[in-house]
Formats: sequence, structure tokens, C-alpha cells
Amino acid sequence: MAEEQVVKKKRVVDPNSAAYKLGQITARNYTEAWEAKERGEKIGWCSSNFPQEIHRTLGIKVVYPENQAVAIAVRGGGTRGCDEAEAEGYSNDICAYARISAAYAKNPHAPEQDMPLPDFLLCCNNICNCMIKWYENVALDLNIPLIMIDIPFNHFYKATPEQIAYVGQQFRDAIAQLEAITGKKWDEERFREVCACTNATSKAMLRVADYLQYEPSPLAGFDLFNHMGVLITALGAPDSAAAFNQLADEYEALIKAGRSTFRGEREDYRIMFEGIACWPHLKFTSKSLIAKNINVAATIYAVAATHVYNTFDEMIASYYTIPGAMNLELSRDRRVQLCKANHVQGMLVHTNRSCKNWSGIMPEMSRQIGEICHIPVVAFDGDQADPRNFSEAQYETRVQGLMEIMQENKAGEQHV
Amino acid sequence: MNSMSDERTLLNTFHEIASHPRRQMDQYLSRGLKIVGCQAPYAPEEIVHAMGMVPMGLWGADMALSEAKRYFPTFICSIMQSMVELGIRGAYDGMSCILMPSLCDAMQATVENWKYAVPSIPIVYADYPQNRFGKAGHDYLRATHERQIARLTELTGATCTDEALRQSIEIYKEHAETMKAFSELAGKCGMKPSDRSAVFKSAWFMLKQEHTALVRELMAVMKPCGEKKIGVMTTGILADQPGLLQIMDKLNMTVLCDDVAHESRQSFFCYPKAETPLDTLADKFCTMKHCSLIYDPQKTRISLILEEARAHGAKGIIFIQTKFCDPEEFDYVFLKRACENAGIPLIMIEVDRQMTNYDQAGTALQTFCEMIQ
Ligand code: SF4
Ligand code: SF4
Repeated sequence: MAEEQVVKKKRVVDPNSAAYKLGQITARNYTEAWEAKERGEKIGWCSSNFPQEIHRTLGIKVVYPENQAVAIAVRGGGTRGCDEAEAEGYSNDICAYARISAAYAKNPHAPEQDMPLPDFLLCCNNICNCMIKWYENVALDLNIPLIMIDIPFNHFYKATPEQIAYVGQQFRDAIAQLEAITGKKWDEERFREVCACTNATSKAMLRVADYLQYEPSPLAGFDLFNHMGVLITALGAPDSAAAFNQLADEYEALIKAGRSTFRGEREDYRIMFEGIACWPHLKFTSKSLIAKNINVAATIYAVAATHVYNTFDEMIASYYTIPGAMNLELSRDRRVQLCKANHVQGMLVHTNRSCKNWSGIMPEMSRQIGEICHIPVVAFDGDQADPRNFSEAQYETRVQGLMEIMQENKAGEQHV
Repeated sequence: MNSMSDERTLLNTFHEIASHPRRQMDQYLSRGLKIVGCQAPYAPEEIVHAMGMVPMGLWGADMALSEAKRYFPTFICSIMQSMVELGIRGAYDGMSCILMPSLCDAMQATVENWKYAVPSIPIVYADYPQNRFGKAGHDYLRATHERQIARLTELTGATCTDEALRQSIEIYKEHAETMKAFSELAGKCGMKPSDRSAVFKSAWFMLKQEHTALVRELMAVMKPCGEKKIGVMTTGILADQPGLLQIMDKLNMTVLCDDVAHESRQSFFCYPKAETPLDTLADKFCTMKHCSLIYDPQKTRISLILEEARAHGAKGIIFIQTKFCDPEEFDYVFLKRACENAGIPLIMIEVDRQMTNYDQAGTALQTFCEMIQ
């Protein structure tokens, strides 16, 4: 009964809409991996920012534990996953994605989102070093090979020639390792196609994100979180660009019609939401903002997974410019650019207990962004997958506080 | 002076040095030497040494945090936070620069924050490749070392020659061998954990040739303590907390061997022969294993711990977990399993640099001792 009621309430998504198509693309990734596994092909688990050009060119199916952890956390399984891992000896200070994933590797059942067990792992630490330890543990537990691409945190503003050479060589080594494991062969022509699709999808996504510059915005910035799955699992897929371009066209139409997907009464305030979404409390965190007519008009997260490049070296360099690998100055400047272009009036920072590298530079970086953009910055404590590290009351108070400062600032502007 | 008092006198010297790094630093500065801070746990100290400067290890300190809180959320380890706190408070004033590795997420954040928290002490990036088994890793690290030398020259005016680097590598090799021998002897003699710790800790605040000489002097007069001790192995990042060491002393423990990053893990490497000393230095890291901070798909560290514990007849293993240190937390899961399978008693004690009350740790260790005795 209860389930029926839930089903009834669910909004029906138009199968011709971009949102539907994008949802299908993410779901397809799991289906394809299951099918490949059933055919007896070797499939992998893959870090979110491992160069996807490699496995896509080789025609190897992979699934993404981070993506699965999000699905589990959003659908209420975060505590179960974390508890299982903690019973194995994992500290609750460890990233909750890693805990949920390590638990799944040992006991592969999750009603929220199942996925096939891997025959090999593809690990890339450009997002964080925690990833190395997480994948080491899963590889040992499952006794499977681990292919590693090390992209060290880049303390420089731009990747240096030796950094590019180091990663470029690992890129080639990873291909050889995967060929040996799966028996599939590298094809340069196919590689060029994948690169073309990757660029096309990235540009289409950037086009989508640019619609947040409009005032009022034709979209709720939180919507972009929903499409992260496509960027992670299908950046180089042939149909992703078309789906994102359709989404952009839909926003264009909304502007013309004077409408928006933002569900607030009006868009009184525009903020940057900084950090990974607080997935277990996504509804609460977004509803609280909507109730106050605050729209998320900027988030680095949505555009962080795009890769635009012309050459092999530029492709390698693009894997150095994702949030976990960029230095404070580059991270700051990219956000400042977004805040300015999108006319943001405040910044809400998720101090994510799971994510040490991202949260570790956040106080200083957000302070600098606040000063440069003359906007208030407020932080709340949370976690991207462990529901226990979040307090609704604290969130409410902090958002309220942010709103009051934005209100005062607005009044001041009008006064002037 | 009889040999026992010689030993005590020498041990007191180690304690003095270990607990007064600033005094050490001032003494070197007054000798006209430049100081380069070397953030835990690995930095190319040999290069600094070869350039005629003093590398000093930075592992934070036991203290309350105030200034560092402006930069870090609470869940970043206290080694990094207290290091930044000390930097802000001026404890490192006089250092020419600081070599900073980024082997874990906390370190990455620390390097970035340091630029703003302690702008007076410039950074030399001490990046290491994780994928270090092939040529790509070696070449990258070699290039990184070259970049470090250029930057150190720019900041201090000092230069590095192959010959000087070769000599420094020899000095470091000798030091590592001496510390291995010392660790063995300390276990055989039943040395108190607090004394053993002081000998290891002081190494971070002395020129290695001076430390080697002092340790050798000590080893020449060390005698068995004459008491029955409970021999254990320690593992973790850091094990220098006075509160913890006092408990171990009182419980009549002695450390037979360790895999602590601040102690013996520093000697788990070799200097492979190579064309140039810089290649040797790069290969030193590239051939290194057994560390939670360095990519190791086989987790060879776990088997090493078991082998060492068995070879030394350790009655149990104490895993000293620095709070919020995730590289170690991941390894703990496998060590726990391996110890259970091997029937080796293991206890985890969580510590951090803000800890003042060790009652709980004391009770847990006492129970552990009763069990393994
Ligand atoms: S949440 Fe942070 S720590 Fe966890 S996997 Fe992602 S980047 Fe790494
Ligand atoms: S290795 Fe552990 S103790 Fe050392 S800096 Fe990283 S988190 Fe801190």
C-alpha cells in the first residue's frame, strides 16, 4: 500500500524530455555492465575521474562506485552501508562513499542500487588520495587487478610538462594492462571518435550550465546535480551531447515563456552551493532553500567533470583540472568567475566530513571568494553519504543567517 | 661515571633534544647554517643536506589549536593542524623554507593553506609519484627533484653538486642502518618506550651525522635493563605522545620493533645503485613499499608487520591510530584480519595531538598487557 502511494505521487517524466533521456543514459550504464558480465566479458569498477577515453575506446564496460554510493545514499541506504563497513573495522572517519563501496564489495546486495562485481579496478586519484586506499582494499578483498593512474595534486596553476609526461605514460600503460586483461584492442580511429563525443558532451553541458547566468534563471541549480551521473558514466557516449543540448534548448524555451524549473515563488536570492551535495538530505537541503526563494545559481560540481581539449596533452592536462587536483588559486579563480558571471549574492558551503581534501581548503578559499566577490559566505556541516553527520536545525539556522545578510545587502543596494 | 649513568646521561641528552627543537634550530642558526623544514613523513632531506643546510622534521606538536582552526575543519588530522598552528605562532621563524609532500588528502590541504597561513616561510613542493614502479614514475620524481633543487637555490642561494649529494646519501644510509641496529639493541635491552622514542624523535632535529654519532655512543654503553619486560611491536604514523609512553613504561613494556612512520618506517628503504645520485634518490622512493601513504596494491605492509612481530617474538601489536588519518584507517581493516588469522594479539589506540587524558588508553593497554603476558 505504502509503495503504491509513493508510486502515485511520483511525477511522471515526459519520455521526450531531456531529463528523461539523461536519466536513461545513466541507468543504461548499469544495464550494459550487467549484460556484458552475463556475456562473460570482464567488467570493471572505475573512479569518477579516471580518463574514460581509455575504457570507452576499448569498448570495456565499467560501473562507478561513487555513482552507486550516491544512489544508495539518496534512497536511504547510507547508514546501512556505513554500518556494515564499520563492523568490518572501517573507521567512521573514512569517506562514506568508500565505506559504502567497501561494504558492497564484501556483501554485494543493495536494494537501492545493485551493480555487478568487478573483474578489475580502474583507479585515479585526481579526485582524492582516499581513492587509492579505497581501491587497494577492494582489490585485495576481491583478489582482482588494480590499474592505477596517479594524477598528483597540482600545486601549480597549470600542469607542468613533467606532470603531463608522467600521466601520458600511465595512460598508455593502462591501455596495455587493460588489453591484456580483457583481450580487447585499442583502435586509434575509435579513440578519435570518443574524444570528439567527450568534447561535444562537455560543451553541451557547459551550455546548459551557462543558463544559470540568466536572471531569473530558467532552472533550479540543484537540477544540475541530477545530471552528474551522465557526466561521470557517459561523457564520451555518442548520445549524451544531444541530450544536454536538448536540455539547453528547453531552458531557452523556458526563458522565452518566462518560466523556470525553480519551484520557489520567485528567485529572490542567487547563491553558489559549494561542495558535493548532501545526498541523504537532498530533499531537505533543497526544499529549505526553495522555501526562502533562494536558487542555486552556481556550482562548480556540475561543470567540474567536463573535458574540453584539442590534443592528447590537453586531454591529459584536463584531468589535472578537476576539483580534487587543482590548487587553491585555480579553484578560487574558477569559482570567482562563476559567481561573477552568474550574479551570485551569497555562498553556501557544505563542510563535508567525508571529503578531507575538498573541505580542507574550503575555509580559506571561500573566505577569499567572499572578499573578492563581496558576498557573504556561510558553511554548514554535513556529509555526502553518511546521513548521521548532518543536522537539519544547524542547516536551517545557517541558511537563515545567509539569507538575512543577503537581504541586508540588497536593502543597502536599493538605498544607494 | 659508570656505564649505567653514561647511558642515562646520554638518554637525557636525547630527551633534551627531542623536546627542544627550537633550541636545536637556534643552535644551528648560530652556527651560520640555514634551516629547511621537512614536513612529515617523507621529503628529500638528502638534497637539503647536500646543499649544506639543516633539514628539520616537522610533525606538529601536542598542543591546543586556535589559529589553525581558521584554516581547517575539525576532521583534519592534528599533525597537520598543529604544524600550521606552530607556523602561525612563529615557532619556525628563521627557517628558509619548507619542503611539503602531498601524499594524503590532509597534506594536500595543508600545503594550500600554508601559503596563506604562514606566508613568511615559502614552500618547496615535495611531490612524489604513487605509480612509481615503471620509468614514468622514476622520470617524474627525478624531474621533481631537479625542480626542488632549483627552487631551493632560488630561495637560499645554496647549490647542489653530485659529489655532495653522493656524500649525503652515504650519511643517510649510515643513519638508517644505525637506527635499525639501535632498534634491535633497544628491544634486547628492554629499553623503556619513552627513552626509545626520544632517540628516534631527536633524529628529526639533528644533522644526521651528528645523530648517528650520538646513537652509536649510546649503543656502546647500553645494557640489558635486568627486568622482565613485555615485548610489543608498535605501528602507526606517530608514537611520541608522552601520555601514552608513560603508560607503556609503567606497564613494563618494551618496543621490540616498530613500523611507525616517525620511527623505523624511515629506514624501510634502500638506495639503489644508479647512474647519478639524483637517480639513486628517485629510486629510493620508487622502490619503497610497506607504507600506508604509498600505493601498494599488495599491501605488503601487513605481511611485513606480521613477519617483524614474529621474528622479534612480540607478544602483541599496538596500532597507534592518529585520529582522522584515513590512510592508516584503511590499512587497519586488513591488519586486524591478518592478526586474527595469525593469532597475534592487536590493540588499536587512538591518539591525537590535542589529547590530554590517557585514562581510557591506559585501561585498554593494561587489559591488553594482562591478556598477552
Ligand atoms: S567524497 Fe571526497 S574523499 Fe570521498 S571519494 Fe569523493 S573526493 Fe574522495
Ligand atoms: S598521513 Fe595521516 S597523520 Fe599524516 S598527514 Fe596524512 S592524515 Fe595526517
